[in-house]
Amino acid sequence: MMRATPWQTGEICGPVSAKSLNKPEQLKRVWSKAKKPLMIVGSKASTIKFGKGDMIDFSIEFSKITKTPIVATGGAVKHFIERGFEGAKSMGVMEIVGYLQDPKWKGPHGQGPHDMILTHSLPYYMEWTMLSGIMNFARHIVPISLSRYYQPHATWSMPNLKEKNYQELLKGILVFVGGGK
Amino acid sequence: MKKKAYIKADEAETSFGLFKGLEVRIGQIVDDEWDEPMGPTPMPGPTTLRSWDYKLLTKYQPSYMPYCQVCCLCTFGKCDLSGDKRGACGLDMKGQQARIVLIAANMGCSAHLAHARHLVEHLIEEYGPRTKLIQGPGTEIHAPVSRLVTGMRPRTLEDASIILDYCESQLTHTMSATHTGQEGSWMDFESKVFHTGMIDQLSMEIADLVQVSTLGMPQADPDAPLVESGFGMMDTNKAIILTIGHNVVPASFITDYITENKLNDQVEVGGICCTAWDITRHDPKAKVIGPISWQLRFIRSGKADVIVVDAQCIRTDVVTEAKKVGSPVISTSDKAVMGLPDRTDDSIDSIVEEIVSGKIPGAYISDPHKVGEVATRVALAVKPVRRKKRYFPSAKKIQQLAQDCQKCMECVRACPNSLNVQEAVLAAQSGNMQPLRDVFKNCIGCARCEAACPNDFELHTWMVAVSQKICENEKFIVRTGRGAIQDTEIRRVGQPIVFGEIPGIIAHVGCANYPGGGQDVHDMAEEFAKRRFIVVTSGCAAMSAGFIKDENGQTIYERRSGEFDAGCVVNVGSCVANSHIAGAAIKIAAIFAKRNLRGNYAEIADYIHNRVGAVGISWGAMSQKAASIAAGFWRLGVPVIVGPHGSKYRRMLLGRADRDQDWMVYDARTGERVYTAPGPEHLFYAAETVAEANVLTAKLCIRPNDTSKGRAIKLSHYVDLHEKYMGYFPEDVWKYVRRESDIPITLKDKILAQMKENKWKERPIPDPTLLKEQVFTGGE
Ligand code: SF4
Ligand code: SF4
Ligand code: SF4
Repeated sequence: MMRATPWQTGEICGPVSAKSLNKPEQLKRVWSKAKKPLMIVGSKASTIKFGKGDMIDFSIEFSKITKTPIVATGGAVKHFIERGFEGAKSMGVMEIVGYLQDPKWKGPHGQGPHDMILTHSLPYYMEWTMLSGIMNFARHIVPISLSRYYQPHATWSMPNLKEKNYQELLKGILVFVGGGK
Repeated sequence: MKKKAYIKADEAETSFGLFKGLEVRIGQIVDDEWDEPMGPTPMPGPTTLRSWDYKLLTKYQPSYMPYCQVCCLCTFGKCDLSGDKRGACGLDMKGQQARIVLIAANMGCSAHLAHARHLVEHLIEEYGPRTKLIQGPGTEIHAPVSRLVTGMRPRTLEDASIILDYCESQLTHTMSATHTGQEGSWMDFESKVFHTGMIDQLSMEIADLVQVSTLGMPQADPDAPLVESGFGMMDTNKAIILTIGHNVVPASFITDYITENKLNDQVEVGGICCTAWDITRHDPKAKVIGPISWQLRFIRSGKADVIVVDAQCIRTDVVTEAKKVGSPVISTSDKAVMGLPDRTDDSIDSIVEEIVSGKIPGAYISDPHKVGEVATRVALAVKPVRRKKRYFPSAKKIQQLAQDCQKCMECVRACPNSLNVQEAVLAAQSGNMQPLRDVFKNCIGCARCEAACPNDFELHTWMVAVSQKICENEKFIVRTGRGAIQDTEIRRVGQPIVFGEIPGIIAHVGCANYPGGGQDVHDMAEEFAKRRFIVVTSGCAAMSAGFIKDENGQTIYERRSGEFDAGCVVNVGSCVANSHIAGAAIKIAAIFAKRNLRGNYAEIADYIHNRVGAVGISWGAMSQKAASIAAGFWRLGVPVIVGPHGSKYRRMLLGRADRDQDWMVYDARTGERVYTAPGPEHLFYAAETVAEANVLTAKLCIRPNDTSKGRAIKLSHYVDLHEKYMGYFPEDVWKYVRRESDIPITLKDKILAQMKENKWKERPIPDPTLLKEQVFTGGE
């Protein structure tokens, strides 16, 4: 399968890299197997558009549909609270990488151990380093990146999509997990 | 104290006369006058403090984030280390990551150490080996790091040289451990990282001590001079000499030459990076142009009539860049010759003549005596012609060039901060230059966007060109580096720090690889200074902190005291002055707790870790030196926060707040194992945002030893910052309450409710230590 090139110049990794996520259905196998996913939402979520809103809205909707718990990093939790969404917890992204390496860790909400993470809206290079930690040392976890730009250390990642295609794919993912009606 | 020493100098002036080709072998140096007993670990080897390191590394476990999955360091490789695989030498991924961290720390340490060695050799040549080392008034405990690590009090340049001998031997050992087929355990690699950091701290102390003693710099002076700084401060009516780097020697000869020849009204010297601090410490008439990331913008402005580079953090394409604007370059250090012809042994007249005529683009001159005269004469000679030239393209020209943009996004993809250069270029097509100015605000001056552009657009130049007005208005007054902290200052604040009533010492240090501009450093420093923490600065961070004016037109250094006390903002100086920040923490143990420092590392580190609420922040950490500086603080048990780019150091040192067994200490009074809250929670951490860093900073100041009053103060700052930046009351406050008197009064209801919910139980406040041997009863 064709592998995409990392978005930021030079951020290439090694022998193993993510499969390109172009259609929601590609997630069918991993999603159906995932028992305890966790969504990790970075500090840029309130500045990245989703439909008429932003990625905070996307995360809330995803979480409501799938009951996936959310952990917000870098202070993004403030936006969830302001929008009346009580379910998001706050942690530092580097803390999360550390904790997730422990297969027994129950997660920020005590609902783990998690077997899948869905990440987005972090600074590109921080998502890159964080996913490297997961890929190499938390192999019990399937990392999926929902960011627009290719993250080689995920299992599935979007191949540097055009804005329009990104929006469509995000909407498609909401439909795929049972929402978007 | 007995140590073998060997001193060599080509020429040395001693009380017996001038010696040429002097070589002295000293069998022993005996410090008979020092009655402090020698501690257990003078001049420790790479494994002497291993058990202390293991204590820290068990509490704060490395979390690795590999930058690549292969190793290519020997011809067995490349080896694929992904998954469970091992390389041909047997090393696994974790080991390889720890090894890379050690290599980086070694690189950093070697830069400081070579700098220190050069200074010592040069100063011995200039002033003689018996020249006294003076840190300043009120510093009876001078050179605290040296005392702690080596058991020596360096009193002369000769002593300094002996300490550097020790450092060099240690660096050789730790570097050799990274060779294929040596160390195999990640824990032991990490222990050596700590060792290297300690050696780095020691070399930095020696470097600063020797220059402060001999070069007329402020000596532990809270009123160190306020100096002019900023791009716009440079007076283009005069010839301008730009100095870049870290080793002040050549630059000091330039300002001396200018002063001796009464040329101050015709030439001025400005510095970028740490040479800027050290040259203004030596001569406050010199100016601080800006941090490391301002090299290109200043060089390309064409304002520099001569560029003199010494060592470290110089743009390696300085000669190419300087050629574009016709500025001659003089390189002065064997570490960074930059391909220039060696003219050290030629006559000054001939060097000046060749450079001015343009026959050579510059010269390598390793003799600093010559650099002063050559640089000044060249600058004066080329200035009149240079001032007539225009170096930046006009807005019109930029608009015209921008029409050819291919909208390929390569510039954005190349930008470390993902700045939207393409959008700015597209706006420029219609003459709107504001987006280019906006990009410039958060630009770290790396020019990666240019390198990527298929049209070879000089994108960084465009940003600077359209921001000229902004640059011209950059005029700031900053306090230059004071050097060490006085014992008397420590005496005053020691108790409130150890008891927690001064909630913490926050040190902003390091480079300028900022994720969102330098203002963040200023804002973070101000946030904590106004809360009456002690704020200390150094290096490029010290510049960024001072490059913002308030509504009264004052910088943080004009508003706030330079005395080491609550609410201060104290600039200690260049990178090597970081050792004084460690030194202040070490002196607290000596002065307030009367602990012996001499060769007593583990006890003092344990003291600092459990009692001194210090946190280092390097928001723009970029270099390997920043890594080794951080490592020096880790071994002392002091936590360090870096900005988001710091995640690329690829390993954090993280505590586990949820594992009670990790937060047990001995109560030195009883020998009992006692639970303390997770404080400090982490030892090395890359924060994603200023919001996260601010909350974490307050939290990392918590120490097991805090008195109830101190704990209550620390918790109220933590809660307040958490509510401000995260938007809610933190859920873990109850963990930090040992007895009800720890609760800040105004937050009582909320915290009591939290305590009830979590079935909180009162617990004793121990006399905390991680070291069994520190228990009064001997740990029995
Ligand atoms: S050092 Fe070891 S892991 Fe690296 S290339 Fe050589 S054999 Fe492979
Ligand atoms: S010079 Fe500035 S805009 Fe260009 S890549 Fe570097 S940081 Fe980005
Ligand atoms: S790299 Fe050059 S051509 Fe491509 S978008 Fe940027 S400015 Fe335009």
